[in-house]
Amino acid sequence: MILEFLQSLSEMQLVGELTVLSLLIGGIIMAGGVIIAKIAKLLFHKYYAPSLPKDTAQNISKLIYFGILVISFLGFTSSQGIDLSGIMVAGGIFAVVIGFATQSVVSNLISGVFLIVEKPAKHGDIIELPDMGISGTLLDIGTFSSKVRKFDGTVTRIPNEKFFTSNIRSLTLSTVRRADATVGISYESDIDNAILVMKNEILQTMPFILQIPEPEFRIDELGDSSVNIHVFVWHPRDDWSHAQPILLNTLKRALDKSGIEIPFPQRVIWNGND
Amino acid sequence: MKTMSDNSEKTFSNYGVYDLESDLELLLPNTIIKFQRISDNAFSYFRKNSEGAIVEKIIPVKSNNPKIELAPIRPLNHPARRTTHMFLQFDKEIYLSENSAASIFVHCPIEIGIFLVHDSNHDSLDWITCNPLNSRFGLYGSPDTGKLCKYAKVSLATDYDDSNSYLEGVMQIVIENTLSFGQSLSKVVFQITDNAIFYQDSKTIIDGIKITMKKRAAVNIADVKTTSVETDWSMSPTWEDKTASTHMEMGLE
Repeated sequence: MILEFLQSLSEMQLVGELTVLSLLIGGIIMAGGVIIAKIAKLLFHKYYAPSLPKDTAQNISKLIYFGILVISFLGFTSSQGIDLSGIMVAGGIFAVVIGFATQSVVSNLISGVFLIVEKPAKHGDIIELPDMGISGTLLDIGTFSSKVRKFDGTVTRIPNEKFFTSNIRSLTLSTVRRADATVGISYESDIDNAILVMKNEILQTMPFILQIPEPEFRIDELGDSSVNIHVFVWHPRDDWSHAQPILLNTLKRALDKSGIEIPFPQRVIWNGND
Repeated sequence: MKTMSDNSEKTFSNYGVYDLESDLELLLPNTIIKFQRISDNAFSYFRKNSEGAIVEKIIPVKSNNPKIELAPIRPLNHPARRTTHMFLQFDKEIYLSENSAASIFVHCPIEIGIFLVHDSNHDSLDWITCNPLNSRFGLYGSPDTGKLCKYAKVSLATDYDDSNSYLEGVMQIVIENTLSFGQSLSKVVFQITDNAIFYQDSKTIIDGIKITMKKRAAVNIADVKTTSVETDWSMSPTWEDKTASTHMEMGLE
């Protein structure tokens, strides 16, 4: 019964030598390929990916998935008796036409490959792209684009070509980072004393500030109204939020406690008769 | 088995294992810890530390005889766990002449762990530091390639009994200079997860280290290895995983 049914399908020709049966077999091969690819991807994610870096795991996962799909497609074409050499010749001409039309797509694809090979940043790194004014956590380097989650929680998709040709500032490659702030004290104040009280306050109240290297103080400018002191402190790279945003507050508190004046801009005007 | 403060030093609770049959109060410098039975098989936990931070937890217990262990632990958790390395800066430089060796004792900061003990398992319940001002970070090396460490400026101790209760333990450092010239040593960096911690009453001993100053090719280095201390004091159930790391190398200035 089944054999007769299959026999009848094999005799139903669609185009040229293409029969319903061969198309069915091709469909089964493709469907099988997709299922196998998904299972392989799933197993890889379950058993092997946890022990690999996230970006490497994602790339291998894509390679496995699309590799199986390509093999399935080749199986499908051979099951249909399609001669790929003819397609190759036509494809060469077609590729030139498509190449011009999809230049940016191909560019993004190639850039994606180079990004994966060069690894200027990896999944989870905090990066800044100064050219684009984007900073945040790198979520994924995909086939055509990369995704960065900005600090406000939104996700920005960046075409790989732009990402690859941009300046990338990594904020997580070094063990420590530096925070800085500038504070002005009045000309009447003792600079050494001001530095001492600021240093003590930083070291006592900011536990994430490194003791070595010590906080650094530079007289930045003898300004119009104040002596400006630039303060540099180091902190563990993941603890920016415990350093930079509260540094100025700490400095002001130290100066306030010691009665050191932070002057506001002021101008002395002399009359011509004076 | 201790049931409450032995009051051997001030009025603070000693390290050790405490029965958690009913309410329990532990007092440490600037820190108070309270356990209260809220049902047949649950306790509440309250802790207020020296910085005023309050931690409250509910602890369901399966065992009929739950216990709490108060023990010194490695100083890696305050203000946040970022490293497993310790950077001890000696308050006085130690000078060793050529081909000589010396043994010293130094104070090393500690934190205090509170563990829930059941069926010989120790679950970490909480940790505190009684001296948060001495719990800071330091960098050994350059910002791009250096090693982030917990940093402390430490003084020399006379012997193992010279421990500062609840604040600092004592560790022995054996220094050997195999160089053909005298060398000063003002700091040591080592992976403290290799060092076991022991306690008795309110005192703490930490596994020692051996520093060998030697020449490798054209570079003078200090090779730092952990050495086990032999003591009958109780071993602290520190919860950090001990890694396979055995030694650390420092450059000599």
